[in-house]
Amino acid sequence: MSASATAPIGSQILTLMAALMLVLQLFIIAQRRLLTNIRLFAIQSLLLAGIAAVVAFHHAANHVYLVAGLTLVGKVVLLPWLLTRLVYRIQIHQEIEPLLNAPSSMLIGGGLTLLGYVVARPFTSMERLGNNTLAIALALVLTGFFLTINRRKALTQVLALLTVENGVMLAAVALTTYGMPLVVELGIFFDVLVAVMVLAILVYRIRENFASMDTSKLNQLKG
Amino acid sequence: MTDFPLSLLGVALWAYLAGAAGALVFQRFEKLANGFGFGMAAAGGLCGLVSCGAALASGMPVASRSIELFPALIPLVRFAIRADALGCFFGLIVSLLAVPLSVYSLGYARSYFGRRNVGVLAALFNLLLLSITLVFLADHVFFFLIAWELMALSASILVCFEHEQDESRGGAVLFFVMSHIGTAALILGFLLLFQASGSYAFTDFHALGAKLSASRRGGVFLLFLFGFGIKAGLVPLHIWLPAAHPVAPSNVSALMSGVLIKTGVYGLIRVCFDFLGAPPQWWGVAVLGLGTVSAVLGVLFALMEHDLKRLLAYHSIENIGIILIGLGAALMLLHSSHPMLASLALIAGLYHTLNHACFKALLFLGAGAVLHATHTRNMEEMGGLAKRMQWTSAFFLLGAAAISALPPLNGFVSEWFTYQSLLQGFGSTPSLIRLMFPLSGAMLALTSALAAACFVKAFGITFLAQPRSAHAREAREASLTMLLGQGLLVAVCVVLGLFPGILLKLLDPLTHQLIGERLSQRLSLAGGLVLSSGAAQGGTVSTLGIVLMLVALLAVPIVLWALFARGARTRIAPTWDCGLRGLTPHMQYTATGFSKPLRMIFKALFRPRREVQREYDLSPYFATTLRFESHVEEVFQTRVYRPLKWLVLRFSRRSRALQAGSIQAYLIYIFLTLLALLLFAL
Repeated sequence: MSASATAPIGSQILTLMAALMLVLQLFIIAQRRLLTNIRLFAIQSLLLAGIAAVVAFHHAANHVYLVAGLTLVGKVVLLPWLLTRLVYRIQIHQEIEPLLNAPSSMLIGGGLTLLGYVVARPFTSMERLGNNTLAIALALVLTGFFLTINRRKALTQVLALLTVENGVMLAAVALTTYGMPLVVELGIFFDVLVAVMVLAILVYRIRENFASMDTSKLNQLKG
Repeated sequence: MTDFPLSLLGVALWAYLAGAAGALVFQRFEKLANGFGFGMAAAGGLCGLVSCGAALASGMPVASRSIELFPALIPLVRFAIRADALGCFFGLIVSLLAVPLSVYSLGYARSYFGRRNVGVLAALFNLLLLSITLVFLADHVFFFLIAWELMALSASILVCFEHEQDESRGGAVLFFVMSHIGTAALILGFLLLFQASGSYAFTDFHALGAKLSASRRGGVFLLFLFGFGIKAGLVPLHIWLPAAHPVAPSNVSALMSGVLIKTGVYGLIRVCFDFLGAPPQWWGVAVLGLGTVSAVLGVLFALMEHDLKRLLAYHSIENIGIILIGLGAALMLLHSSHPMLASLALIAGLYHTLNHACFKALLFLGAGAVLHATHTRNMEEMGGLAKRMQWTSAFFLLGAAAISALPPLNGFVSEWFTYQSLLQGFGSTPSLIRLMFPLSGAMLALTSALAAACFVKAFGITFLAQPRSAHAREAREASLTMLLGQGLLVAVCVVLGLFPGILLKLLDPLTHQLIGERLSQRLSLAGGLVLSSGAAQGGTVSTLGIVLMLVALLAVPIVLWALFARGARTRIAPTWDCGLRGLTPHMQYTATGFSKPLRMIFKALFRPRREVQREYDLSPYFATTLRFESHVEEVFQTRVYRPLKWLVLRFSRRSRALQAGSIQAYLIYIFLTLLALLLFAL
């Protein structure tokens, strides 16, 4: 099968999977159960791994397979497992209590997605595969950022940060010719892993000290 | 052979570094740390003195090489030095002071034994010498800034060396803050220069002014005038000077007043003459005006001080003013294309820079010796020290004569040059702006007279008459090394006064580099013993001649005595005390009383306030207790800096609301910034 023949199919698969990632992100915004949230994130990461694999296959760029594999191991298996274990260990209240209610959160999420599309429009010609993957990536980053603001509990903020990271990764895979340099990608994976571990410990400590994970209570630390 | 002076300069830098490191290593053994630290500083100073002197004497070429001290590990920074004539001259000043100050410190630091860490003092002293030398030699913007900041840091730590006193900490903090504000202006100025040159090397900044638009050039000039003006202690940016200099250990005060504030002068000369070139008229007017104001206000504030070291610090402001009068006149004359006269004015400024370094260091060392003996800086508690500290008082008297510009000492020579350039400057241009010259000259004359009055007060109250306190009564002469350090500086002051031809010759390469003139032949007649102003209608003067004449005149009273008074009866009796039972210290003239006429004349500036409370039983003429208070308003602190401080604090308190301590709020700040940037990119 030649590369030119696979182009439209690959492109379509890519667009589909990217769009699904965005849909999952909006799910995460509206969702109120913590464990479901973690699972949704795992599925989103699985889609990211799929996208990386398609890109790797399409460009015969072997090191992007490595990215796909690492995403699969790290974000689909390891991190959700770690977070789930943390949830059980601290016996946390399952309900997420966002600052804004679900409908207005959805509205803001929609607005940010729109902004992502507007901002990305001048760059669509640079995309190699798929339509509007950059726009989706930007939308993921922006909505993820909004999620970190909208959540109170440290654990859910970690989760939101991870979706931001997914957006960054999507942009890297979709836009740059052969993904980022391998060293940078490995570095990012390592960073994310360490960050989650540190945050997990931090969450545990905050919980111990404040009997809550609500970061809005941290302003009591101010002198 | 060409490499000889430069390599010796490298030795000097390494000696300072070794002194700093050694003093830290040996800090457990005070005597060793003291001896090694200050010994290395003296050795480094000697090497620097010989190398800079030799380089200047050899009539160095204008284009000097830039050499890298050590390879840079950080991108964009080159640790390069270049010893051109300007750098060498200022290097000469710092090295010239390093030797006597280090010798003095050997004795002075002994008073800290057992109380303080002398190793740290010696190490920082070396570090300060090193960084000042590097400031003068640096050939790269970042290297210059690193040295500049190192200098500010080590100096501010030295200022609060006696850190348990509030005064020391306050002075250090003020110095630190002012210094940083100045550095910010410098960085901006350098960035503007970088935009035009595309390089960070000083060599590439040469004559860059031609490439800049007039308004940008003016902006660069103002930024540097502000930044370097803070360091030089220009009025109204001077307030850190009287706060920081007096509280430092005296050897450090001497170094700060002698050299550290001269880094500002160096920077201004470097920027105005080397980088920007061809000055517009208003630069000269601004510098001349600020210099004149600094000179007059500096000496007026000095007159009101009773704190010996604060008085000297205010005199530093005055002398910086006199130096800037020379520089400003040079800029104005350069604008009206009189390069020869401009060189004369520049020489006046540079000569005064060196002179002030010498006599101000000498006076601070003297004040240090007095402080060491009496444990107070308040002049009203001194007195009668001339009998107890004969050498120190003699040295201080010579220093006071030099700073008051009395012939034949060095201060006279440089002020004479300043007057000559101002007088001749009047004829340099037909425009009305030439009135600046005689005006500034008149103010300079006023300054000199007031300075003389101030030092009559400082010397008279401190050293003459009867001791005013128990401490003063028990004062002892300073140790041998302390006297030696002062003696060396006295020798320098005398030599610079009697044989000005030596220095004029050394200044030749400098004026040649900056203006393109060599004047020493025209300015010195009879092998450098007679000074000429270089113009037909100007004057000539010979300090050596004045001395010889004084010696000859000394014969007159001896002859008169021999003729008429020989054999007359001499009676030795106590001083006339108006019939009271003996004179007491309370009857003496006080420093406050001495300066009262001037306080009244300049009432508008000082806004003196006094309060007298009298308690009496029978008649108001026989008071039982009397309380007297007298205050002088520090105009700049109360009128400028206090409102400014208040504004800054209020703004800071308001903006504290931003820092709410909530993660969500911080995230929103970041998020909104991100959104704003994205929308801005659209």
